[in-house]
This record gives sequence, C-alpha cells and structure tokens, in this order.
Amino acid sequence: MIPSIDDRLASIIRSLTHVVLPSFGPEAGIAKEQVGMAVRHLQVIRAQLDSAPAYELEELHDARALASALLEVEGGGARTDAALTTLRDALRSDSPGDSPRELRVRLNCAIDHVIRASAADGSQAYREYLARTVLRLESVRTYKDRKWFALLGFDAQMQGDQ
Amino acid sequence: MPPYDVRRTSDIVAALDRFFTERVPGARTSQVTRVGGGASKEQFVFTLTGGGGSAKRYLLRMDALEAITETDRKREFEVLQAMQGRVPAPRPCWLDESGETFGRPAAIIEFVDGVTKPRVAGKASGLGIWLGEPLRGKLKGPFLDHLVALHAFDFRRAALSTFSVPDADPKQTARWGVNYWRQLWHEDSIEPSPIMTYAEQWMLENLPECRELAFTHGDYRTGNYLFDEASGRIVAVLDWELARIGDHHEDLAWILRPQSGTLDNGRFRASDLYEPEEFIDAYQRASGRTVDRKVLHFYAVLSAWKSCAMVEGTGIRIARAQHNHQDVLLTYVAGTAAMFRGALCRLLEVGAP
Repeated sequence: MIPSIDDRLASIIRSLTHVVLPSFGPEAGIAKEQVGMAVRHLQVIRAQLDSAPAYELEELHDARALASALLEVEGGGARTDAALTTLRDALRSDSPGDSPRELRVRLNCAIDHVIRASAADGSQAYREYLARTVLRLESVRTYKDRKWFALLGFDAQMQGDQ
Repeated sequence: MPPYDVRRTSDIVAALDRFFTERVPGARTSQVTRVGGGASKEQFVFTLTGGGGSAKRYLLRMDALEAITETDRKREFEVLQAMQGRVPAPRPCWLDESGETFGRPAAIIEFVDGVTKPRVAGKASGLGIWLGEPLRGKLKGPFLDHLVALHAFDFRRAALSTFSVPDADPKQTARWGVNYWRQLWHEDSIEPSPIMTYAEQWMLENLPECRELAFTHGDYRTGNYLFDEASGRIVAVLDWELARIGDHHEDLAWILRPQSGTLDNGRFRASDLYEPEEFIDAYQRASGRTVDRKVLHFYAVLSAWKSCAMVEGTGIRIARAQHNHQDVLLTYVAGTAAMFRGALCRLLEVGAP
C-alpha cells in the first residue's frame, strides 16, 4: 500500500496554506502571491487528477473524429490531397506504445497540414466543408476544455456549469 | 539557454547602487522591495535620495530571460516619454537598454501612487476586475477620454525611433498585427490546435484596410491603469509595451473582449465600465472616428487569437524552459486558452456582420 496521490497533495496544500503562507512577512508580497497561486493550482490538479486519463482519451477521440470527418470529402488540389493522405496515414498509425497525448499531437499536426494546404489549393467546396467541420467539432471540443478548466475561476460564463 | 536565475532583492540593491553611482553622484537608494502582479517583468520599487536630501520613489522594470509578451524596454521608454502631458503615464527616467548594469534590459520610471482595483474586493467575475459603484460612474469618463486622446496622438511628429508606420498599403496595419503574433505562435506553440490554424488562415484571407492610422495601446483595460480610489481619477495608464501605430479597432476589440470585462446577471460590461453598444457609441461621439463592425470583428478574432498564443504558446514554452520568475502563474493562466479558443469558434461561426 502506498499513500494515495490525493492524500499527498492534500497534505502539501495544508502545509502551504496553514504553515508556509502565514509565516511570510509583509515584505514577501510576491512569494505570498506565488504560494497562493501554487495552492490554487494544486487544488485544481487534485480535483482533476482521477479524471485526467479519461480526459486525455476523450481528447484523442475528438481529434480522431475531426480527422475522420476531414477525410470524408475530396480535397481538390495536389497539396491538399497530399496532406489528406498524410492525415489518413496518421489515423492508421496508432501503435500500442504511444500515449493518448502523443497520438493526439500527431493527429493534430496532420490536421494542421490539411488546413494550411486547403487554404493554398483546396477546392472551394472542400474549403467550405473544412470550415464548417472544424468550427462544429472544435466548438464541442473547446466547450469541454472550458468546463475542465472552469475550476480555475477565470471563466465567468462557466461558473455555474462545472 | 539555462533556467532563469530569479533576482534576489540584494542583487538589485547592489545593481541600483552601481547604476546611480555613475548617474546621480551622491544619491543613495533604500527601501528596495519586490512588486508582485503582472505576468512578465521583474519589478522592484525603491527610494532614491539625492545629495540635497530629497527622496523620491521609483519603479525598476526589467526583463526576465523570456516573458509571455516579448517586448522592448527602449520602445516602452519612448512611448512613456511621448505620452507625457497627453495621457497620464509614469515618467520614464533611466534606461539600461542592453542590461549592462542589471544583467537584463531594464527601465526605471517614476512610481505613481494608486490602485488597479478597489482595495476591498467586489463581486468576483472571471478574469475581469469588478469596480462597482460609485467607482464605475467616476472612471467611465476618464477611461474613454484617455483612450480618445491616445488614438489622436500625432505619432508622425513624435520622437519614436523604435516605431514603424504601416502605411505601405491599406492592409499593412492588420498584416503586421497578424504576422507579429503568428511568428510567436509558430516559434512557441507546444502542439498545433485546429481552431488556431483555421483562424490564422481566416485572418490572412480577411485582412481589413485601415482608413486612418492611430496610435494604439495594445492592452488598454481596467487593471492596466492606476486610479485614486477616493476621487476616481485615473493617475496613470500602465503597460505600454504592446503600443504600436495601428488601427483604433484593435484597442476597441481588446477592450470588448469578454475576458476583459465582467458579467453581471448575464450582462457584459467592458472593463466593468460600459456595455458594448454604449461603449461603441460613446467612443464614436468622443473621437469622431467611425467604428466599422466588420473591422471590429476582424480585430476581435485577432484579440482572441493572440490571447491564446500568449497563454498556450509562449507562456507554456517559457515555463517549461524555466525562463521566467512566474512559471507557476504562467502554467495556471494557460488554462484560460480554452476560453479564447471558444471565442474563436463563436466569432468565426457567427462571421462578420
């Protein structure tokens, strides 16, 4: 048995909040500010920790959904078609040793190339399709990210939606 | 580059002594104190007592190895000089452009007394600062007046050697704005983001023409000016590092960013001062300039885009490299990137009016 990460984080937060912070004098403004920030950060990490692996898998799932959607329509020019071929390969190249994060980054790199290539030589129909698809799926994705980070306290619109 | 060695107050005391020995013989520095706040510069307040015994407070602003906004101290110094007598701004006094004495580029400016937010915290509202009444009523007028005066500043007659005028073609202003931030994003981003890439292409294809150049602040909002809490007078506009010769819509869009204001029972107030239409009307009346909704929409996209590039690109990269003294703040605010990406989706879905 090992102490849980949650117990360890909780003890660090308690130590920083109840022992370290009160020991600062008035001249230690920025140190106080940074320890306060570290405490808030640890509290958010503690709240997110158990859900983080599932969250990264969902991010990967969403990147795959966008990649697949971009492959559903013919691209147009040679650059766009080449970028779509690379994207198709990236979608097929999952290897068991790769983490969800590595796979997502690889897919997003390939999606990035498709967007740039289509701006250069994609057909008008493909560019319009790409715009609709990226905006629709990225709206869903960013809403999930906003919800995930609502605990930071910056997003006034998400405060009641955590 | 190795990690940044965060400055100790004792190092700054010694550097200040060296600096003033040459420049103000007989003067001595005291009460050197580190100042918090901000997310980019290292700042120290100190007292300088001259040979005659007169004492004055100053602020030392110096670069860390890298910052969430990569800007130039000389450029900021020039702007502060140019603004004297036009818009309340701290008086710039000394410059160590190359970092010869302080180890990093640094500027010393006159310390101005005032607050950036009420001493007693009001209602929390995301990133924005809650001013509440009666401050809101007192600050509305000066906030607008100083912005109008700033935009009307005749930059062509000023000594601004570090500034260039984007007048080669009507789209150069917007193009420079986009290119500056995309260069940073391309160098700093940790991983590509589909909405950032799409928005970048959209901006390049939709660059607006600038009808009349204006001198812009770049980060004009509540939180970036000091005011006297009792009178509600703005005593100094701060953080001029992103100032440029550009398009007045760029400042307006930044002020109207949802993240620069407060949400009060579902109603948004820019800088907790103005509702959007009220602000646009007031600005047009006071400045005599037209607010073109299509151009404003373009700069709203650029505002969200550069905000995301700062927090998710540059901020994270320099925290990883340990090149700043505020790493913990940088990784914390990186979580706001989702808000800016969300804003990009919304703005581009709705489209220009």
